[in-house]
Amino acid sequence: MNFLIQLTGEMRKLYARPRTWIGYIAFLSMEILILFVYKLDRAQATLRGTMEQNGLEFDTYYSSLSITFTIMILSMFVLGSIFFALVAGDIVAKETEDGNLRLIFARPISRIRLLLVKYAAVCVYTISFVFFVGISGYLMAAFAVGWEGGLFVMEPKMKVFAAYPQWSEGAPRLALGALGISFSMLTISSIAFMFSCFRMKPAAATIITLSILFVDMILQNFPFFRPYESWFITWRMSSWVFLMETHIPWPKIVESFAFLTGLNATVFIIGWLSFQSRDFKT
Amino acid sequence: MLEIRNLKKSFNGRAALKDVSFTVERGQIYGLLGHNGAGKSTTLGIILGMVAAGSGEVLIDGVSVQQQRSKALRKVGAIFEAPSFYDYLSGWNNLKILVGYSGKFDEKLAREVVDKVGLTERIDSKVRTYSHGMRQRLALAQALLPEPEILLLDEPTDGLDPEGIKWFRDFILDLREQRGMTVLFNSHLLAEVEQMCDRIAILQGGQRVFEGPIKGLEEDLLRYELEVDNPEKALEIIQRYQGTMENWTIAHIPRQVDPALVIRDFVNANIMVRAFMPKQRSLEDLYMEIKAEHHQTKNL
Repeated sequence: MNFLIQLTGEMRKLYARPRTWIGYIAFLSMEILILFVYKLDRAQATLRGTMEQNGLEFDTYYSSLSITFTIMILSMFVLGSIFFALVAGDIVAKETEDGNLRLIFARPISRIRLLLVKYAAVCVYTISFVFFVGISGYLMAAFAVGWEGGLFVMEPKMKVFAAYPQWSEGAPRLALGALGISFSMLTISSIAFMFSCFRMKPAAATIITLSILFVDMILQNFPFFRPYESWFITWRMSSWVFLMETHIPWPKIVESFAFLTGLNATVFIIGWLSFQSRDFKT
Repeated sequence: MLEIRNLKKSFNGRAALKDVSFTVERGQIYGLLGHNGAGKSTTLGIILGMVAAGSGEVLIDGVSVQQQRSKALRKVGAIFEAPSFYDYLSGWNNLKILVGYSGKFDEKLAREVVDKVGLTERIDSKVRTYSHGMRQRLALAQALLPEPEILLLDEPTDGLDPEGIKWFRDFILDLREQRGMTVLFNSHLLAEVEQMCDRIAILQGGQRVFEGPIKGLEEDLLRYELEVDNPEKALEIIQRYQGTMENWTIAHIPRQVDPALVIRDFVNANIMVRAFMPKQRSLEDLYMEIKAEHHQTKNL
């Protein structure tokens, strides 16, 4: 019960800060832009070409579900990671910097409990943000092209291709995909959270997290590392897309998600150990 | 109620606390006096478990902060110099969040406390619109929720105007009077500590240089700044009252002597008195006295 009260307080703080809302505004703007592009004749012609080349009917798959999938796959890793790193990098470091932690530490709460509350808040933010992007993207796309239609999935890098002609098949699969993205994005938040627990500025925690992920992504794309790509964090994070395959390869997904769970737990423990050993002078 | 046992702490090899011990009894207002860097805030940090002690222990009602921090701090409230609240939230929401770390937020009790500290009208405003005095009142409100038995105050009156300082002092004295609150009060202002505390410890360079009742620090001789046209004659009069003079400008007169009598004698002796002002003892003066006393004790 107390944990829930503390988590509510943490969420209240999180959503009272303007920077938390920047991500929402950025994504809404981007969704509007993508929809605008999708309405252009030239863009539609390109899409039609791609679909028809794959033997799919344009009218069935030019739909709100396909557009939502595109929005999520295009934006979440690059743009989403910035906001996840920003919020998670801030959550402990900013309070240390501003001196708010002094008032909290005058209370009978242990450091591990405080970190668990804050980490839970970061997880709630990350998951809800992904679903916000999915739902708002779908609603806008439905407004622009109608709510019906199938789902067309193509991710050449991970070699995933699938088509669901019925809305009733595509929508649950897209929701499952959103759940997978949420889980993958928790890794970004966890890494930023760990740095936030260190003795560093909030901006540094955000920048270091993004640097690690971008370096990981760049190296993963080197031909030399191709045989080892499954050892890269960003490859594991991209494995959510397997959830979109017609026959879901569960062992592959479980392996990747277990890898990410282990990583998240490890970075949390490192962050906690650092935080636990620190002196907070009044 | 609060027992500090042989605290030692170093930061990067520099000793910040050197074997500091003292005990605060229930219902006492205890002053921890010293300049910036003397080790007062480090002591408070260790009491709250924010700073790890190099060695030594803090016991609150017999419970060790080092062993069972959460249990030990259940009866503690604290205020810091320039408290940092969440500026983007209202005072009320700040209270809700901070008290939430101690347990359940009792709205009725919170309303009473807010009313007591005089913040009722502004409690729903964002903290960023608060003056320093209002922030300090909010800090006091959060420290009093939910009903602590010990208050730790770290230079709480710094930056307050004289009216604010008086209000704060009266409030703390009232708390002790009405609720028997135990208070540990950090300050670098001797006069403030003298007005509030029953007992004090003085820290200098991380070392405790004095510990005892505040009465033990009272001066036998009070000091007055003096400006007269005939200091030699003035000295004769002062000596009649068992007083002395320092550099012909400062008169030391026994506490029990009414200074008005001295001035009357100056006037009767045709001494022109241009100034006769009580001079407050500074922390430096006190250090010097304590050092001199230690020196004398050693030589005996």
